Amino acid sequence: MTGLERLLGEGRDRWRRLDELLDVADRSPEWELGPERMREIVRLYRIAAADLNRALALTADPEILVPLNALVGRAYRFVYGARRAEPVRGRLARFFAREIPAAFRRARGAVLTATLAFGLGAVLGFAAVAVRPALAEDLVPGAFFSASPRERVAEIERREERISSVREAAQFGSMLYTHNIQVAFLAFALAAATLLGGLWLLFWNGLILGAVAAAYVLDGVGLFFVAWVGPHGALELPSIIFAGAAGLVAGRAFLLPGERSRGAALRAVFPTVWCMLVGTAATLVLAGLIEGSFSQLSAKSIPYPVKIAVALVLFSALAVFLFGRRGDDEEPAS
Amino acid sequence: MRLRDARRIETPEHVKVRLEAAGPGSRFLALLLDVFVVAALATLFASGARIVLPGALEDLAATTFSFVLAFAYPVWFEVRREGRTLGKQALGLRVVDARGLPIGIEQSFVRNVARGLDFLPAFYALGGTVALLDRDGRRLGDLLADTLVVRDRRTQTGALPAAVAATAGLEVDPELARRARNRVTLDERELLAALLSRAGKLDERARYDLMEQAGDHFRQKLELDLPHLSGEALVRALAVAVAPRR
Repeated sequence: MTGLERLLGEGRDRWRRLDELLDVADRSPEWELGPERMREIVRLYRIAAADLNRALALTADPEILVPLNALVGRAYRFVYGARRAEPVRGRLARFFAREIPAAFRRARGAVLTATLAFGLGAVLGFAAVAVRPALAEDLVPGAFFSASPRERVAEIERREERISSVREAAQFGSMLYTHNIQVAFLAFALAAATLLGGLWLLFWNGLILGAVAAAYVLDGVGLFFVAWVGPHGALELPSIIFAGAAGLVAGRAFLLPGERSRGAALRAVFPTVWCMLVGTAATLVLAGLIEGSFSQLSAKSIPYPVKIAVALVLFSALAVFLFGRRGDDEEPAS
Repeated sequence: MRLRDARRIETPEHVKVRLEAAGPGSRFLALLLDVFVVAALATLFASGARIVLPGALEDLAATTFSFVLAFAYPVWFEVRREGRTLGKQALGLRVVDARGLPIGIEQSFVRNVARGLDFLPAFYALGGTVALLDRDGRRLGDLLADTLVVRDRRTQTGALPAAVAATAGLEVDPELARRARNRVTLDERELLAALLSRAGKLDERARYDLMEQAGDHFRQKLELDLPHLSGEALVRALAVAVAPRR
């Protein structure tokens, strides 16, 4: 009897048993599987791994190696794959109340960099239009450009409210936040894949905002602009910056992993990046609903100072929630 | 002499497990199936929302549901079903961590969030180009999440029976057959299948050179002393020897 025949003779039954146990494990939660069967899987996996090593030395026959390789690969994923035992509800509460703010605090360097890129764009956009008003037409996208902001404001204040029912507000709001989340995710991916591309995108968005703001301020309707953009912008603008910042965190690990392997560097930042993206998406849902309703209301319904006060409260609440607390910021195990 | 590279990961027990990257065709088909499933569920929900929910909320609910589903569907399946969405399961594919482990929710989320960038400027042009350049066929989302899509079960020697049919009746020396089965690797079996299936399309000179080159390789590898066999005859004999047994 050759070594290979002996291995096949000895191994077949335990490989079949391991396969059956993994089938059961696929169908049932860990607690239902029980410690006995868990231990048996680990024991059989170790033996099967050793069998695969022996088989590789004895033969290249795929009819033997392929199923054994697949079995060991499957058991390896089961044995070494991380599983969370904590109930979903407890984990969700902790995730939103503690893990998301902690992630933002860990990434404050990236948030600051992204804010600077956006802020620099805004200042330059504002300054460019303030110095040469004609530039507004070149810098501001058609949908936001108005030859005379003052006339546009007068028209908005004169006509009936654009949003006149809850249905319209809900429809417009959901359209806005799904779009904004897609844009934020794109900013994240661009920053993660290229770093500089993400910074450029943030700078460019800041430039447009600064140019629009300057056009309204120069035409004497700056207060309207703040009341119009403020309530949703207090959440939406930081969210776009946060998405870019999450991209910078991932991009640094991806493009500049240092002494670690790229995979290890990425895995170390995934918990931070994931928390930031979920936090950003949740904030954008709120921002979209506000933009679809409250932001659209003219001074006839809500005085400008009230809208600006709401904007300040929202921005402060977001800043305090994310950056106000100290501690608990250590890098989580990945 | 390899037709497709496979990634080998080493388990903590120092066992090398082979992961074969999925091809673009099967990935695209799996994606189409998943898009169909998501679209069907979203349509079903929108119809239900119209009946159950008050008019003010039905659009909000339908838009939000279809948007959330587009992300939640792949993430849920990839995390809870060991890397397999329904489309991937149907096509025999699986997303795994680059270490061969199941992917976590963070990784799944990142690879699906980055899909928007992969899609640009249209129809996955960017992601497809990146995948063609990457040795494991990974799109940008996979690179950012450190994941790869692998074939669940290998079928690459499936081309062999057809190639072997052309050599029906060929008797193979038992010792040659034994050595072939035990020493010819998976990659080499793919090579045998490819050589035989393409032989008819080559011009005579190229066919002779290629077969002799392959023959020399196998003579050396299997320590064969068969000077009377041409390269092509040896390739055919080996293909018969290693063809899957019924």
